[in-house]
Amino acid sequence: MSTGQATASSNGREARRRHLRTWPGTVGLLSPPLLWLILFFLIPIVIVAAYSVGALSLFPTTQGVSFFDWKHFLSGDSIYIGLFWKSVRMSLTVSVIVVLLAYPVGYFLALVSGKRKYVLLLLIIVPFLTSYLLRVLAWKVILGSEGIINTAVVTLGLRDADHPVQWLIYSQFTVILVLAYVWVPFVALPIFVTLENLDRSILEAAGDLGASRWRTFWRVTFPMSLPGVGAAFVFVFIPTIGEFVTPSLVGGTSGFMYGNAISDLFTQGLDWQTGSVLSLFLVVVVLVLMAIFGRFVQVRSAGAG
Amino acid sequence: MTSDIDPILASRLDRRDFLRYAAILGGAGVLAACKKAVETTPPAGGSASASPRPSVDQEPGILKVFDWDGYGNDTYGDHVLWKAYAKKYPDQKPKFILFKDDDFGYAQVANGARYDVVHPCAYRWPDWINLDVLQPWDTSLISNFGDLNPAFVEGGKVNGRQYFVPLDWGFAAPMYRADKVQPIEDSWGLLWDERYKGRISWWDSLNMFIVAGYFNGVANPWDMTDQELQAQKEFLISKIPLVRALWPVDPTPDVLNGDIWITYAWPVHWWAAKDYGSGKGLDVVYMNPKEGRTSWNCGMALFKDTPNYYHAHDYVDAWASAASALWLVTNDAYGHTNTTLDLSKVPQELVDAFSLDDPTALEEPHSHVERPIRRRDVYNQLWGEVKAAG
Repeated sequence: MSTGQATASSNGREARRRHLRTWPGTVGLLSPPLLWLILFFLIPIVIVAAYSVGALSLFPTTQGVSFFDWKHFLSGDSIYIGLFWKSVRMSLTVSVIVVLLAYPVGYFLALVSGKRKYVLLLLIIVPFLTSYLLRVLAWKVILGSEGIINTAVVTLGLRDADHPVQWLIYSQFTVILVLAYVWVPFVALPIFVTLENLDRSILEAAGDLGASRWRTFWRVTFPMSLPGVGAAFVFVFIPTIGEFVTPSLVGGTSGFMYGNAISDLFTQGLDWQTGSVLSLFLVVVVLVLMAIFGRFVQVRSAGAG
Repeated sequence: MTSDIDPILASRLDRRDFLRYAAILGGAGVLAACKKAVETTPPAGGSASASPRPSVDQEPGILKVFDWDGYGNDTYGDHVLWKAYAKKYPDQKPKFILFKDDDFGYAQVANGARYDVVHPCAYRWPDWINLDVLQPWDTSLISNFGDLNPAFVEGGKVNGRQYFVPLDWGFAAPMYRADKVQPIEDSWGLLWDERYKGRISWWDSLNMFIVAGYFNGVANPWDMTDQELQAQKEFLISKIPLVRALWPVDPTPDVLNGDIWITYAWPVHWWAAKDYGSGKGLDVVYMNPKEGRTSWNCGMALFKDTPNYYHAHDYVDAWASAASALWLVTNDAYGHTNTTLDLSKVPQELVDAFSLDDPTALEEPHSHVERPIRRRDVYNQLWGEVKAAG
């Protein structure tokens, strides 16, 4: 055995020993989240998948495994595909608006507010210590036919009391407004974190090289914050695409979404097979989107680094 | 049954006797609508256990009651409904688990949830029997049972055994604000009157197919043919742009805050909008449409594996009392099957609104008793299509 081979062999043994020493720790650390994922993510998904093909059913049935509901759903004849695209459009709109609104908040907190930033961050989040339902219903007081805005409109003589601005409540506009309100503070967080971790010397270098603040923002700050923007977008897009509580509270008949259809199929229609098809389809879409966004964020992070 | 009713119709009614007679007639309707469906469904077991039952003192005691949202959470002081039970078991307040509608409650139990007592409505009773989760009541343990209207009571039997103790009943009809709405005629058509676009709400329920069916002259909206169903679906889809919202639990807040002027409603919604007769509420009318109101009744059922057998009987006994009946009629504007209720204690406004002095009010064609829908899954699917078109 040559000296080189002996050294390599010794290094290999050392690596294996290190691996054996750290293995219990790794397993110990990974087990709880893995167990959690298996119990509350993988197993439920398997159960939903079983319902979606009739392997499990709410009521006893003689019908065996069937892909009919999947076929019907994916054929495009189903009303639910239309609802899915309606939800995608709504969610995209909300996500874009929320990111546009949250970016200045994150920017201000990270780069302008100085020592007060954590106090201000706390203040932004404080309203979210109250009930979600309460905050959504509060919008009814503001936007209702006899709410604050319509009362002002009527008082100013812009509208007759019997003809207030109706689209303020029970419309797609209301759903977008309320969802944007709900998500802006949360979405500001990943943007804040990204901007907070920016290497300030790069910004100073841009200034030293004669770039204006506006040019520095577009050429340096914004590109480097794109991973945070991407994460923020995903942060709001994924939960809102399946949203059903807010649409059912303030959406009215025009705010009926894909998530509402799933909820109805499980609770009102008792058609768990179709409900499971819709749910699983949404899970797959979300997983694909996460993979795409994950790739996007990684690449941008590497580029920024 | 007709021979029993004739003398009643021929005589001048005393208001005190209202519930006795009205409930008999209503009960006859319920019986006719539901009894066949229940009895032709073979009860899947569900007989009382032959093994020795623990005494009431040995029972866990905290009763789990699975009930409609609005009962049990005491928002409106409804603890009065089981006041006698609370007096008997002061340290054993029941635990209430609430559902927003029958479908939701039924789905929970079909999926394995179990409680001690449940409060389903008659049109779903055959489905509950088929679930094989219930056992019959021992009516000898319910002291107020003899006061309940026999026609309703009969409707709660399956193969001679009392699986359901019928207690509450009521109507469904259009309700509107009299200060804002002038109906052309008393008709369900007010729910799609184009003059009031954006001021209308419907119940988020396939019952909208039923009222559309009656409005459009379908002979039996509870069992429509494919062609009839398709026609009602297209009709409702053409009308849903007029509708501002579908209410899942209660339309009253939207009526009170001015967003809605016209809605599908239960008596309690009308009574709440009127601030329970205080004179401070809205000027709302509970319509008696020419096509007829729909009516319903609900009753308590006992889970077969309940560890609180005697507690459950005492709870239902409390609900069945005349005191509970008075509270239900005067606070929720619902009817109660207890026939000993003193109607002179009931506000005249309630008597007039629900024709309580008219024994034919619950009969066809004035009122259509809610009954099992054979092809409920098809109705639900089409209702989903109506909502998706909104």
